[in-house]
Amino acid sequence: MSDRAENLILALPGLLLLAVAFFVPIAQMLLLSVQGEEGLTLANFTRFLGDPYYLGVLWRTVRLSLLITAICALIGFPLAYIMARIGPRMRLWLIVLVILPLMTSVVVRTFGWMVLLGRSGLVPDILRSLGLAGRNFSIMQTESAIVIGMVQVLLPFMTLSILGVVSRIDTRLEEAARTMGCGFGATLRTVVLPLALPGIVAGSLLCFTLSASSFVTPNLLGGSRIQVLAASIYRSVTQTLDWPFAAAQAVILFVGVLLILVPYARLGGGTR
Amino acid sequence: MADVRLHQIKKSFGSVEVLHGISLDIASGEFISLLGASGCGKTTLLRIVAGLEGATEGRVELGGQDVTGLPPEKRDIAMMFQSYALLPHLSVGENVRFPLRMRGIGTKAEQRERVAEALETVQLGHLAERKISQLSGGQQQRIALARAIVSKPKVLLLDEPLSNLDARLREDMQVELIEIHRRLGLTTIFVTHDQEEALSLSDRIVLLNKGKVEQEGAPDEIYSNPATPFASSFLGASNLLPATVRHSGGTAIAELEDGQTIALPADTAEGACTLALRQEDITLSDEGDARLTAEVATRVYLGARSRYILRLAGQELRVLTGTTPTHEVGSRVGLEFDPDRIRILPPETDKTSKDT
Repeated sequence: MSDRAENLILALPGLLLLAVAFFVPIAQMLLLSVQGEEGLTLANFTRFLGDPYYLGVLWRTVRLSLLITAICALIGFPLAYIMARIGPRMRLWLIVLVILPLMTSVVVRTFGWMVLLGRSGLVPDILRSLGLAGRNFSIMQTESAIVIGMVQVLLPFMTLSILGVVSRIDTRLEEAARTMGCGFGATLRTVVLPLALPGIVAGSLLCFTLSASSFVTPNLLGGSRIQVLAASIYRSVTQTLDWPFAAAQAVILFVGVLLILVPYARLGGGTR
Repeated sequence: MADVRLHQIKKSFGSVEVLHGISLDIASGEFISLLGASGCGKTTLLRIVAGLEGATEGRVELGGQDVTGLPPEKRDIAMMFQSYALLPHLSVGENVRFPLRMRGIGTKAEQRERVAEALETVQLGHLAERKISQLSGGQQQRIALARAIVSKPKVLLLDEPLSNLDARLREDMQVELIEIHRRLGLTTIFVTHDQEEALSLSDRIVLLNKGKVEQEGAPDEIYSNPATPFASSFLGASNLLPATVRHSGGTAIAELEDGQTIALPADTAEGACTLALRQEDITLSDEGDARLTAEVATRVYLGARSRYILRLAGQELRVLTGTTPTHEVGSRVGLEFDPDRIRILPPETDKTSKDT
């Protein structure tokens, strides 16, 4: 048997699983999205793209996802660097601490944020007593609430992606940079950051896809007025029962994410 | 260029003290080697000079300025690492330009000129555009050297820079290092465990043993007059024989542990001592009327020469001779040597010091 055939056989179970679990539903979704009452139609797409409300939902989804990803990277990079450079004992504790939120249900975590951020919650209370906010101040039902909740959910993905790369960077490179005139900050900027880029890119891809398609957290923290695309799809499916329109929205989300991810993944691959 | 002064440097890691108060004056433009076995603290000492490690006690001065508390980037030094530590995300040219860029030396055009000059010095001017991963080990080593000299630092620190190269490349690089040092005249501190490298490169050798200076001096001085058994065995692989010196009838006699005797100069002090004899200073003869005999344990054929391992008074003795005549393993041979070549050293206090 040739190597090629052998490889193919080895890959077959995985490919089959992918085909059944991923490509079939995608194909079904594509079909559903162009089904009209009399044959094929693009009406669902024109309806979405012609409606400022839905365009606003799309734009909000992309904007919030980018913001969440950026914040995750800003927090995740220093955190991962500290975890990589600190002793093995402390690193273990930090990893546990970072992963811990993943071990509770998204719903429970989100309810936790609702308690903290709601009108009589801890955070607005403190802000009010510090005189930084008015009497009716609440973070709930705002985009800020969505960002705060999502960052907490997605931070582990970003941190662990970067940690994997940073812990493989030879510390002697940093020492060498120090002997060549770099202060600590300059060393981080000119040596660690460029070498950690593949990890940051990988983490960003994860964060962006997950936050663009997330539904529970934005829905609960943002409320029904501040809708993101995934929540809008959910409403089409469960409330208006307009499945073709839901499928069209899903396709738009899918294509939108791909359009952003493919060039970005190229960027990450090129620096390796 | 500047002189380096180390004053009573002590360093502890946790409760373990690895440097026990080292003082060293290095003149401007001098090439000095820190020689010692692994674990003797030589690299730690170099890192303290670089500022990568803080001294627990003591003072470091560069060019008359106390830099003990300064971080590495504030010291005008350059260091070449054993692993070279080239930055993989930058091109060869950018790697060499890095210290100039970070220290803000010169305009862009001047920097480009100095990079080209440094690359020319190590004969790799044509590789400036390459990626680091495309270089061979020997080329990486030269680029690391170019990067270390490009900023013309006050002090050049070299941490076992040749140990990852194969024998031929290493010899070539030794010659090149000597030439570069002569041309640029940089104060250089060179860390090595290889006595040959230290002997051939340096103006002065500082022999370190267990965090202390065992002996320091010019290469020929330290080679021909080792002060301690450790120095003697580390430099030039001397044979060490414990003996007791007695005076009788105006001559001094050294008695070995198996009862054989060697005549020594009459002014040798009485008492326990260690006799040191270099392997190239001994010739072998048939047992016959030789005054000292030993048993052949092993013969190693080296091409131009043979090395014999002999057993004498419970000690192993190494002898380097011509290939003829051959002596059979197990036979007894006579040892011939010029009595003046024997050096009498204090008795070995710590047997393990040879192996650490």
